[in-house]
This record gives sequence, structure tokens and C-alpha cells, in this order.
Amino acid sequence: MSTRTYKKFEASDSGDIPDKMTIYQDCMNQFNESPVNSKRCRTLLSRLLRLLANGETFTESEATALFFSVSKLFQHQNDSLRQLVYLAIKELSKISQDVLMATSSIMKDVQNGSDLIKPNAIRSLTVVLDETTAFSAERLLKSAMVSKHPTISSAAIATCYNLLPVSEQTIKRFSNEAQEAIVDLKYFPQDPSNTEFYPNSTFITQYHALGLIYELKKNDKMALLKLVNQFAGNNSIKSQIAKVQLVKIVSELVNKDPQLFTQFQPLFNNWLGNKFESIQLETAKLITNFHATHPRLVAPQLFSIAIATLQNLLSVPRVATRFSALRILNRLSMVTPDHVAVCNPELESLINDSNRNISTYAITILLKTGTAKNISSLISTITKFIHEVSDDFKIIIIDAVRTLSLNFPQEWKSILNFLIDVLKNGEGGFKFKNNIVEAIIDVVAFVPQSKEMALENLCDFIEDCEFNEILVRVLHLLGKEGPTASNPSLYVRHIYNRVVLENSIIRSASVIALSKFAISKNDTSLRESIVSLLKRIANDKDDEVRDRATIALKFIDTSTANEPTSSLADELIHPTSAYDLASLESKLSSYLSENNDSFKTPFDVTNIRKYSDDELKAINLKRKQEQLQKGTFENGMESSPKMAKKSDNKYGKRIDSDTYSSPNIDEQQQELLDTKYSDELLSMAEFQNFGKLVNSSKIVALTEPEAEFVVRGIKHIFKDHVVFQFNITNTLTDVALDNVVVSCNPEEPEESQLQELFIIPIERLLPSAEASCYIAYSKTEDVVTESFLNTITFTTKELDPQTNEPFEADEGFQDEYEIDTLYLSTGDYIKSSFIGNFTATFDELPNEEVAVYNIQESITLQEVVDKLITSTSCLPLENTQFVHSDTNSHILKLFGKSALNGSKVALVIKLIKSSKGIALKAQGKAENATLCSDLVNNLI
Amino acid sequence: MGNYFSSMFDKLWGSNKEIRILILGLDGAGKTTILYRLQIGEVVTTKPTIGFNVETLTYKNLKLNVWDLGGQTSIRPYWRCYYTDTAAVIFVVDSTDKDRMSTASKELHMMLQEEELQDSALLVFANKQDQPGALTASEVSKELNLVELKERSWSIVASSAIKGEGITEGLDWLIDVIKEEQL
Ligand SMILES: Nc1nc2c(ncn2[C@@H]2O[C@H](COP(=O)(O)OP(=O)(O)O)[C@@H](O)[C@H]2O)c(=O)[nH]1
Ligand SMILES: [Mg+2]
Repeated sequence: MSTRTYKKFEASDSGDIPDKMTIYQDCMNQFNESPVNSKRCRTLLSRLLRLLANGETFTESEATALFFSVSKLFQHQNDSLRQLVYLAIKELSKISQDVLMATSSIMKDVQNGSDLIKPNAIRSLTVVLDETTAFSAERLLKSAMVSKHPTISSAAIATCYNLLPVSEQTIKRFSNEAQEAIVDLKYFPQDPSNTEFYPNSTFITQYHALGLIYELKKNDKMALLKLVNQFAGNNSIKSQIAKVQLVKIVSELVNKDPQLFTQFQPLFNNWLGNKFESIQLETAKLITNFHATHPRLVAPQLFSIAIATLQNLLSVPRVATRFSALRILNRLSMVTPDHVAVCNPELESLINDSNRNISTYAITILLKTGTAKNISSLISTITKFIHEVSDDFKIIIIDAVRTLSLNFPQEWKSILNFLIDVLKNGEGGFKFKNNIVEAIIDVVAFVPQSKEMALENLCDFIEDCEFNEILVRVLHLLGKEGPTASNPSLYVRHIYNRVVLENSIIRSASVIALSKFAISKNDTSLRESIVSLLKRIANDKDDEVRDRATIALKFIDTSTANEPTSSLADELIHPTSAYDLASLESKLSSYLSENNDSFKTPFDVTNIRKYSDDELKAINLKRKQEQLQKGTFENGMESSPKMAKKSDNKYGKRIDSDTYSSPNIDEQQQELLDTKYSDELLSMAEFQNFGKLVNSSKIVALTEPEAEFVVRGIKHIFKDHVVFQFNITNTLTDVALDNVVVSCNPEEPEESQLQELFIIPIERLLPSAEASCYIAYSKTEDVVTESFLNTITFTTKELDPQTNEPFEADEGFQDEYEIDTLYLSTGDYIKSSFIGNFTATFDELPNEEVAVYNIQESITLQEVVDKLITSTSCLPLENTQFVHSDTNSHILKLFGKSALNGSKVALVIKLIKSSKGIALKAQGKAENATLCSDLVNNLI
Repeated sequence: MGNYFSSMFDKLWGSNKEIRILILGLDGAGKTTILYRLQIGEVVTTKPTIGFNVETLTYKNLKLNVWDLGGQTSIRPYWRCYYTDTAAVIFVVDSTDKDRMSTASKELHMMLQEEELQDSALLVFANKQDQPGALTASEVSKELNLVELKERSWSIVASSAIKGEGITEGLDWLIDVIKEEQL
């Protein structure tokens, strides 16, 4: 990319950087002289370039003046001077708008210049041409592209590639030439004196040409398939990176159309055995990535070969290869750790690799593939290791250990010991320590047994901690968790020490923490001693500390006077629920922007979703687990073939904006959407008297994602009502849909317990727009489950392209369209929730229900587990959401709470796979007997 | 030593000094055609000039540095970036393009007002004389208001770049003027 990127690395030992204004003046004088002194001008240009490479910039008018003076050098026919002129024009083009003035001169060089300057001239066309002038270079570029000279041909291809976003119309006409350039093997002109030292070709042109063809055809599946079939099987592609590119194209094809995978299997086998390491790597990456999303389509044998290939690459001499193989294995280890375990011997020997990147990666993988058996021995290995690596690697290791605590809650002791050891004895900066503290906070949150040990050690840690932010976090944690510990006064003492010894930020945080002990613990003597401490603090010299102490005293006072649990003070100091922040934020900002009575109406918080502590933990745990999984797909993007990352994203954006949001939106966005939809619903007048929104389901697809009209449904549950929301997207480009209505019919109308109240249709759905149609029902019982057959009806109207309105006389066509069944199931009434000690809770719950199922479809255990998690809306616990791939049985543990009344429900589901299918035994326990049997009996 | 002599020699014969000449005029007037007629003596097929062409040619023992600047409206503002050290301007007019005579005249006079061009000689080619209905040189001269020009050596020559007529006559006059002024 830009020469600017390596600016910082050019150390001062490379000589003094010339003075900017001196160079500027010299350029203006020298370049305008007649005749031109080419040697002096060349030196001057190289100094100018050096300046720019060092990150120096010129104002636009200076750059323009420089450009015009440089352009005068075109009068001198000297190839080496001309090459530098081109470099300078390319650099100045980033600042000056006027470089188009060089167009004619450049084109002349493209046509008549020597082979030496032609490639430079061609490449600089990229910076001077625009939409209106690109066509004038078409003929020149085409003949350069088919040139026998590889450098010239490559330059033309690269230029076209970069011009594509500028002038798609022109570049579209280049596909024949590009195709020819892939096939044509080009050699450097032979110079007999040099053959010994120089290769006669690198065949890089093939790579460039393939990149261009791909950009031209990337939306045309058939054309890409043809391309792959033409080149993949034979040996016509000599360039190594062109071959890698081909693998990437196949990767994209199979990810878009998974059914294609099978037909490519022989090819993959072949590629895994290719002589180039890069091709083996890319293919293994393709297979393992694809396996993560479509496990059933990958033949187990092929998958094992891919792993074996990676395993082999772990012990090759080339560092980059070892590193890449590790990266792929690392991602794999997050989803299917058991598959990676075969590489453990190699990984263990890499711990001592002299390259620290490699050893760190090896360790993190080992940590992820670790089983309950070897965790503690691994931890003792890294305890020695971690003190020797740099901060960055330490953080990577800490993160890996942190995931361990989520995956092996039963190993919390050795994990916590490790974290405490590095916290107290490890050398490192803020980020490192903060990560450790965060990891400990995680352990405390998700493994309740660990609480006391963690808190005590954190208390020791804050006795000598230099980072304010970390201290404040620990104090907050102590205030939150300390009051319910067995010996609260221990923590009170530590906190009070901070008040005596630290700065005002920490003193303020301590005050809050202290007051929590007084309020939430019903212990009079403790309360009294805290009150006397706070009274002392109320004389602090800092305003904030004083204010907090005073208000805390007031709160404590009121909370002792009233019933403690219901008091305002208690709610403020020790909240039991938290607002959904995304929803709160959007409501607040619309409150601010829509304010038209100078804030006379107070902000209304009642409609904002609230989460209880357990719900919040469930959400956090899910998010963390997803982040782990995400690692797998972090490189999904990367695998789509691209020659270079372009700074200008115009092209990409234009294509993307045409396609509406894809069906697999990522989880975080999904949550935002959920919030958005429920906010929209709650703000509509029609639903005002339905009361509080109890729960909203996940978005379910009701059509194929590539249908003309894409429909997705959401079920909103109220106390006495149910609302179905149908989001409909019109993917047509020239037709509007009027009066769009979804008619929803219960599958068994006689037995339906839902009474349809009203429908809110979509008046007009324009092309590529999304809108929602709502249907509201009243329900008689708490939990109603039913299935609905749905049809959308609408009137299509053709649009006048001029006005984007339907043609005046067009009455339109009535049309209808059947979509998938929508199920209102027990899971829709459940919210996932976290519980620290699943087994104990499960045993305690009073009502039990057992059901047995047989699934005859051919489906993997993992797929069943995924479906169960979705259909029950429960949170998988103890890491049971992952099925080890080499087993035929699995136990899934799920926990949730009724969205209506918060009663607990827990499930243990045993799955066994045999040749006949999958047998499933679900055991449910719950506070509420009906909920229990509803859930257990309607699992599938 | 050798260098010293050769540069003495060059100075005496004036062949080291390059003479800067600009060819200006509206788009399509025939500037690029004239430049290459001068350089290679042939008619080349041209495309609208986006930017400029520059060629060095030797004419009557003089080294000429000839700049042909594009004439489109979008390019005209850039002419002034190339005015420095210009010995002469050749202004080319399409004699058949009566509609744009006034535009040509306006551009010409605006350019001549520039400080940097005060000492430059002006040669106007009333080009495309081979075409029926072309205005004559004196008609073009009137349209361009050339008589108004004081304190400047100027001349107008009827030409056809395609047929190669008038070009050398015009250039001969220009060279004479330049030589005179430089002596
Ligand atoms: N008939 C005729 N056509 C000419 C003459 N000179 C130039 N042309 C044509 O006029 C068009 C524009 O010429 P060009 O040199 O590109 O004009 P420029 O824009 O001033 O550089 C071309 O088609 C030339 O062939 C001429 O003397 N007679
Ligand atoms: Mg021209």
C-alpha cells in the first residue's frame, strides 16, 4: 500500500530526513528549468519520495504546484527519470486533485514507451482516470493485458482491478483478455547473460488475472464454477498464489451453496497433497471452516486428512507455515477441541519453539483442547512459562485460561490459583492485570463456589495495587458479593483500609461498597459499625466522597426504618435487576431529540426491558460462549478472495447495499434487532393496553432466504395477548406490494385457544424495503401452544421507474403466497437463565416429568442439541452445548425461567445415537408442574 | 575541460538552449495534429487531449520544446501552469467553427494578459483552410480582434494541418522573431 505505512519503522539511523521546504523549493526550481538536468532531477525526486514516505505531507496547493512542476519533466525522454516521475505522480495524486493533467502524456508512454517504463505508466493510469475518461484508455489497456511481457500484462490487469470501482462499465468488457492472461504462460524477455540468476517467470500474471476475473464474475455462480473446473484439475496454473486464490474461490462457492461441497471432495483430497504448503494450508482451512457450519456435509475421512495435514505442517522448517497451521488449529480448538487433541504431541513440543508467537499459540491451543484430566498439569506448565513472555502473549494466555473457567467450572481451584499467582507475582502493565481481574470476576460470576477464595485474594491484591480502574472494579465486586459471604466483616476491614490510604476516586468507590454491606446484610452490629465508619468519612475533604457518605447514611437510615427489602435505598444501592442498556440508550436518545416541552414530561422507564441478575448472567455467558465460537468465523471474511485490501471501499459498499441483511446476522446484531422490534411494537398505539411485554421470541425464517418475498416471524407474548410480527422484505426491483396481509390460520381451528383481535397490514412495501405486518390475539390461559398455517396476500403494482410510484392506471394483481408454519411453543414462554450449581438446583425442584423421543431423520447429535437449545429457549450449562464428535451419546443440561412468573425449570436430556436414529430421554424438573410437562412433552 | 569547450560551443551556436513554445486553442482546433505534423511530418489520428503532449524537436538548428495543451473547458484553467519561460504561443483556431470564434477570442485575450506571457510572440493559425466555408485569415483576424494587440510581435497564417499547408510558413516567421528577440 502506501509508502506511508512503514513510516515509523524507518529508524533515525537511516540518515537525516531532508527539510520539507528546501526540497519543495528545489523541486520548483529544478523541474522548471530548461533544459532539464535528468540526473539532478532524479535525485531530487527520490528525496521528495523519501520525505513523503516518512509521513511528511504537503498542503493541497503545495502538492498541486509540485505536481505541475513534476509534470514538466515529461519533456525529457529518460527512462529512469520517467520511472521516478510516475512514482511521484502516484504519491501526489493522494493530495492533489489535478493529476488528470498527466493523462495524455501517460497514455503516450503506454503506447510508445519502452518496456521499462510501460508498466509504471500503466499503473499510474489508476490515479488519473475517472469514470468519464476510463473508456479512452480501453484499447491501450486491452493490448497491454495480452502483451507477452509478464510485467506489462500484470500492470494492466492490476490497473483494471483498481479501476473497477471507478468505471465498472469499461472494465466489464475485459473478461476475454483477462481469461486469456490466465491461460497464457508469459516469460520475461531472455537476456542470455542473466539466466543463471533470474527465474524466467514467476507466472504472477496468472494470479493477477484470476483476481480480476473473480472481481468481474463474483456474483455469477455458474461462471465461477466454470472457472474452477477449467483450472483446478489440471496443471495449467503455475503460480502458487494463483492456486491459493483458486482454493479461496472454491471456499466462497461452497459457503454460498453448501451442496456443492461433495462434488469438490476429490479435488480437496488432491489439494491436501499438493507440493505447496500454502495450498495445503488453504485447503485445510476451507475444510475445517466449512465443517464448523456444515458438519454433516464433510466426510469424516476428509476431515481427518485435513487435520493430519495440519499436524504435519506443525513440524516443517518454515516458521510462517507452522504459524498458519497453528492459527487454523486454534480456531478449530474452540469448536471441536477433541478433533485437535490428536495434534497434542506436536503442540507440546512447540511449547519450546524459539518463536514466541508459536509457543504461545501452542499453549493456548493445548489449554483449549485440554480435558479435565490434564488441565492441572497444563496449568503448572504455563505457570512457569508465563513469566518469560511479553505482555501481549501473557494476555493471550490469560484469555485462554479464562475460557477454561467457562468450560471446566469443576477445575476452578487450579484455575483460580493460577490467576491469583500471576496477579500477585506477574510483572505486567495495566492491560495484563486488568485481564486477570476480569478473568477472576468471571470465575466468581459463573462458579459460585469460588467466591470466598477469590474475594479474599483480591483483598490482598488491592492492598498494593497501583491502578485506579482495577481497584474500583474490585471494590465494586466486593460490595456486590461480599455481603453474602460467610465473613463479611473481613471485607469491610479491607475496604475501610482503602478509605484511609487511597485517593478520592477510590475512597468514593469504597463508600458505596461499604454501604452495601450495611443495607443488604441484616446484621445490626455490622450495620452500626459501618454507620460509624461512614460518619467519620462524612468529614472527608473531598466533595464527592463526602456526598456519597452522607447519602449512604441517609439510605441506611431509611432502610432500617422501613421494611428493608422494599425500600428505595435498597433498590438503589443493591439493585436486583438491570435495564437493557441498548433499549435504554435508544429510548433516552429519542427522548432527548423529541423533546418539545423543555423536559416537562419526565422520562418514562417503565417500558424498558429489565433483566434480573440471573438473566443478565445468562446473557453474558451466552455472549462469551459465542465469542469463543466466533473465533471460528473471524476469518470467514478473509477467506473470500481479494488481491489486496483496498482503502477505497466504495465498490464493496455498493454491492452490499443492494442485498438486504443476510439471514445469518451475527448474535450481537440480532440482539439489537430484538430490542428494536420490541421497542417499535411497544410504541404503537394499538398495543398500548396489552400491558407489559413478557417475552419476545427469536426471529424465525418462514421462507427461503432467496425467495422473492422474504418473511421472518417474531412471537411477542403479553400476559393475556400474543402478537405475531411478520417482517416482510420485497426483493424485487420494480414492483411494489400494496396492502400486504398475512392470514394466519390455526392448524386445528376447533381447538384454538387464541382469539384473533386485529391485523395491522402493510400499506405499501417498496422494492428492497422491509416492513412489518402484525396480528394480535387474546389468549385465555397462561401458556398456549399452537401451530399456524400462513399465507401472505397482497396486490402487486408495477413501478414507474421515473417517479418510483405505481403507474396511475395500474390496478395491480391480487396475489398470494404460502409461507412456512409458525409454531407457538412452550419455549416462547421461557427465558434462559443462569444457575451456578445446576445439579443441586435440579434435585431440589419439586415437579418432575419424563418423556422419550425417537428421531429417525439422519441428523447429528450436535444438530439435535442446537435445535433443543433454540426450541426450549433455555441456557445450556456446564458446557454441554458442545457434542464431542467421536461419541454416540451426550447429556445436555438446560436451565430457564418462566417469562410469565419467573418459576424455575431445569432439563437433563440424554441423547443416544444408533443406526436407527437418535433416542432422546428428557427429564424435566420445575417449580410449576404444568410448565414442566408442557415443556418436556413438546420438545420436538 | 572537454565539457567547458562543448558548452562554449553550444552557447555560440545557441543550440543548447531549448525554446519553449505553447500550442493553445479551443478543443478540436487541430493543435495535436499540428504538433505531430511538426514532429514527424505526418497526420496522426488524435483523441481529445486530456492534459498535454510535449515533444522536443529541432527546427532550423534550434531545439524547440513544444507543449500542446488540451483545449476542453475543463483543461483550459490549467494552461497558466505552463506559461513560465514561454518564448512563443501558437494559437490555433478552427476557421470553420464560427459559433465559437468569440469564445476563442475571449480565451486568447485573457491569456495574453498574463504577466508571464508579456514578452512572448504570438502566431495564430487560421486552421482547417481545406474545409469549405472556412473563414479566411483576415476574417479570423477580425473575429479575434488581433489589431488591438500592441507591443507584441504577432502574425496570423492560414493553415491546413491535414494538408500540411501554412504550417512551416508560420513557424518560419516565429523562429525569425524569436531569434531577433534573443540576439
Ligand atoms: N479538415 C481538417 N481537419 C483537421 C485539421 N486539423 C485538425 N483536423 C481534425 O480536427 C480534429 C481535432 O484535431 P486535434 O488535433 O485533436 O485538435 P486539438 O483538440 O486542438 O488537439 C481531428 O479529427 C483532426 O483530424 C485541418 O487542418 N483540416
Ligand atoms: Mg489535442
